Amino acid sequence: MILRYSVTSIAILLFSTFYLLYDNTLSSALQWQLISGKTPELFTEFIFLFATLPRLAMALMVGAVLGLVGSLLQQITRNPLLSPLTLGTSAGAWLALIIISIAVPSLAPDLKAIVVMIGSMLAMGLVLLIAGFRELAGLRVILAGMAVNILLGAITSAIIILRDQYAKNLFIWGAGDLAQNDWQWMIWLAPKLIIAVVILAIAPRVLQLLRLGQSGARSLGLATTPVLIVLFAAALWLMSATITAVGIISFIGLIAPNIARLLGANNARDQLYYSTLLGALLLLLADFVARIASNLTIDIIPSGTATAIIGAPMLIYLAMRGSRAEDQMQISQNTVLRSQLTLSKWLGIIGIAVFALIVAMFLNNDGVSWRWNIPSDFEIATRTPRILIALAAGICMAVAGTVLQRLINNPLASPDLLGVSAGATAAIVISSLLTGQSLFVLNPLIALTGSAVMLAILVLLTRAKQFSGGTVLLLGISLTAMVEALVQFVLAKGSQDVYNMLSWLAGSTYNTELTQSLWLFAASILIMVLSLISARSLTLLNLSTDIAAARGLKVSLTTNLLLALVALSCALVTASLGPIAFIGLLAPHMAQLMGARKVKSQLLLSAALGGVILILADWLGRNILFPSQVAAGTLAAALGGGYFVILLLKAKVSRHSFY
Amino acid sequence: MLKGALCFLTTLLIASSLNAQIRIIDAQGEHLFEKPPTKVVALNWAMAEQLIELDAPLLAVSDVAGYQEWVVQPALPEGIQDLGARAEPNLEKMARLQPDLIIVSGITKEQVARLKNIAPVLNFNTFNSDHNNPQVAIDTFRQLALLFNKSQLAEQKLSAMQQRFTELRSALTTAYQGKLPKVSTVRFANTASVYIYGDNSMSQYALKQLGIKPALDIATTQWGLVQKRVLELSKIQTGSVLYFEPFNEYPQLQASRLWQAMPIVRNNKVAAVPATWTYGGAMSLKYLAEAMATSLLTLAPNATEQNPVKNASNEAVQ
Repeated sequence: MILRYSVTSIAILLFSTFYLLYDNTLSSALQWQLISGKTPELFTEFIFLFATLPRLAMALMVGAVLGLVGSLLQQITRNPLLSPLTLGTSAGAWLALIIISIAVPSLAPDLKAIVVMIGSMLAMGLVLLIAGFRELAGLRVILAGMAVNILLGAITSAIIILRDQYAKNLFIWGAGDLAQNDWQWMIWLAPKLIIAVVILAIAPRVLQLLRLGQSGARSLGLATTPVLIVLFAAALWLMSATITAVGIISFIGLIAPNIARLLGANNARDQLYYSTLLGALLLLLADFVARIASNLTIDIIPSGTATAIIGAPMLIYLAMRGSRAEDQMQISQNTVLRSQLTLSKWLGIIGIAVFALIVAMFLNNDGVSWRWNIPSDFEIATRTPRILIALAAGICMAVAGTVLQRLINNPLASPDLLGVSAGATAAIVISSLLTGQSLFVLNPLIALTGSAVMLAILVLLTRAKQFSGGTVLLLGISLTAMVEALVQFVLAKGSQDVYNMLSWLAGSTYNTELTQSLWLFAASILIMVLSLISARSLTLLNLSTDIAAARGLKVSLTTNLLLALVALSCALVTASLGPIAFIGLLAPHMAQLMGARKVKSQLLLSAALGGVILILADWLGRNILFPSQVAAGTLAAALGGGYFVILLLKAKVSRHSFY
Repeated sequence: MLKGALCFLTTLLIASSLNAQIRIIDAQGEHLFEKPPTKVVALNWAMAEQLIELDAPLLAVSDVAGYQEWVVQPALPEGIQDLGARAEPNLEKMARLQPDLIIVSGITKEQVARLKNIAPVLNFNTFNSDHNNPQVAIDTFRQLALLFNKSQLAEQKLSAMQQRFTELRSALTTAYQGKLPKVSTVRFANTASVYIYGDNSMSQYALKQLGIKPALDIATTQWGLVQKRVLELSKIQTGSVLYFEPFNEYPQLQASRLWQAMPIVRNNKVAAVPATWTYGGAMSLKYLAEAMATSLLTLAPNATEQNPVKNASNEAVQ
């Protein structure tokens, strides 16, 4: 153990020295003189003293805090793949920053920092409120974090699209940047991090007791709830402060505790301390890479992009060899559903679908008032493809969601949450970046490759270790985070066509051609039919792979084909209208709540629901801010996120948890 | 020989004027118009700006509020209609306005095809890495003038702009006693990073017309700018830097010691330029030149005493 700590410390010292010597003509003797108080004269000396040195200090400090908070949260929730960013902090900070920068652009930076911090804390407070303080160790808190992330993210992107000129400069912050011009931010941040010392002092004992479970700890005389609240609040404070200072830096808080465990940190204290040390080393290395990469290219590579690019493969590696014993989360299908799927419900759904179509075509806002009117030929020609593609995308995502949920027996598996859509998005954004092509003309094959790669990674991981659903979910969220970091990097490049990319990322039906919508509609019907044909296999696989094999089903072939179907749906939707979030989770779940227990009825009902939701989201988006438009994907995510939050709150009240 | 060619050209001109057709070339190719359009919508700020400068009958534009905040000059005409966000201009509203021409730039063929259902479309190339952006803006200005039968006005405005460049140039030369500095223009993203405008940018072109060379060599890009660390500006030893407002974190930047140590700051070679659109049309070059020249005059050697900007930055250094 002492060896481990000393080797890591020496590595930090060594790389810090390299970090200071890199891209710098000053001798280390001169550097030392400067550190010990020599007045700088040459400009290189100023760079050393006020750019390189504070940046190094910032990397070490922020890295240590991320490692500490990551380990703390993972130990509290006993969830090895939880990232501090999963809990809503970054989404809250990002939304607050966008709102305040647009509403009061001239606000002093200090005040702005306070607003950002409040935003971040409110978001995480909301997550905790939804999760409930008594169940911090469960999956609930992650679900709540995910819902809040998506909800706030959708609101943020809607605002950004409407005010893109303002938002442009903020993307660098969103990508996480450690560059410094002076010690200003260090002086701002350092005092706010003193609380970390308190955590390091008191947390280990509490965490050790918590390993017995909350009730076990309680029986030993630890008042768990108040202690957990205090620890969570401290973690929240630390995260908010660092996010405010340097922006969103992903993966460090997720990976450091895992490497600590892998290298043999067993007890709570060891994990906490060693993860803190590792966090510092990891961010130091990542930022070093970012500096070198920025020197080699004509653009800035933000530190957060480097952590994401280095972090994601590390995460996958860790997950591959991570032990199952620590994976405490299990999700089971909810069986306490009382409602029946009656004929009248089917009729009701059909009625709603027809009504949605009528509304989408005939009710609109002309800037003065909302009124029903007969659309002109031109209006029919513009609205039809949009309605049709919304319907088709809704069906595709709903079917993909249902299949995936049944297949990996996890009611929370949504293709967009698992990173499958993110894969398609990343492929399209990256190839647009490399070829300079417009996002709207890119080949669906590129999207398909992206989502297939993501799906393959997930499948390999699930197969290799037979992970619980919760782990897969977290892995998906992390992969999505990596894609987001890449997208932020592209957006930060500062070209004027950022707004086109933003509108594509929001999942908009605006650019849909009639032929394109017909193609997707045909594809959605095909996907629907294919999934119905495989309904029996799905039912069997859902029960257990053994039963399925006993009944003569070629398990791995069927599973692979069904997964390919999921990847195809996501890729088609993403390639035609951009990423559409949440429908894949929401529609199957609503269908189940309405009593669709059999695979076939769930497929049909969720497809109908998915189509209706997206049609209505698209209609609302076209009209609500007339003449400006909000993307269907954005509204669907906002509605879905809101629905999810309500669901979680209701489940909390009635104790009929749905997971 | 020459005479023959001239004769031929004249015949050609007469022939085409007899046809009474206006030939316009955009990114898609050649378009013929019988008469100047009377109800025009522009889906892009640079195009709207060009049309307003030409007194063309502009009916509607995308994101009116954004234009008024970022482009500012020339002011939009009273009663202009708003078509919503630039990425997704509202087609239904556009159709209801029944325009007879839609002017856009840099959109895909599919998008053009859709707009054609509403009215004829002119899709101009504006910002691209493989051509000279400012020159293309001027060419487009002339094309549009031809379309609206305003060629005379356009030439008048262009030569007035040249005239203005000359005036500004001589004013600067006097102020700098014949030794014009090298200047680079930038837009700060935050206190640590900055967008630096290069060869293919409107601001650098405008400076060139004032006889000023760039202080930094920047690769040619589509929008004419690259994102760099603020540190990059320390490479400027003798030149000046102009930054475009708004940049609300400037006080914080000024307070940082790295910034204070930069040669441009120590030599007081940094000045602000009031909000001016750097992705505009032909006439934006004039506004840019005027705004930048005004800022540069405050940096001139003989302006030391009366210059409040300079005094402010002096205080910050101390």
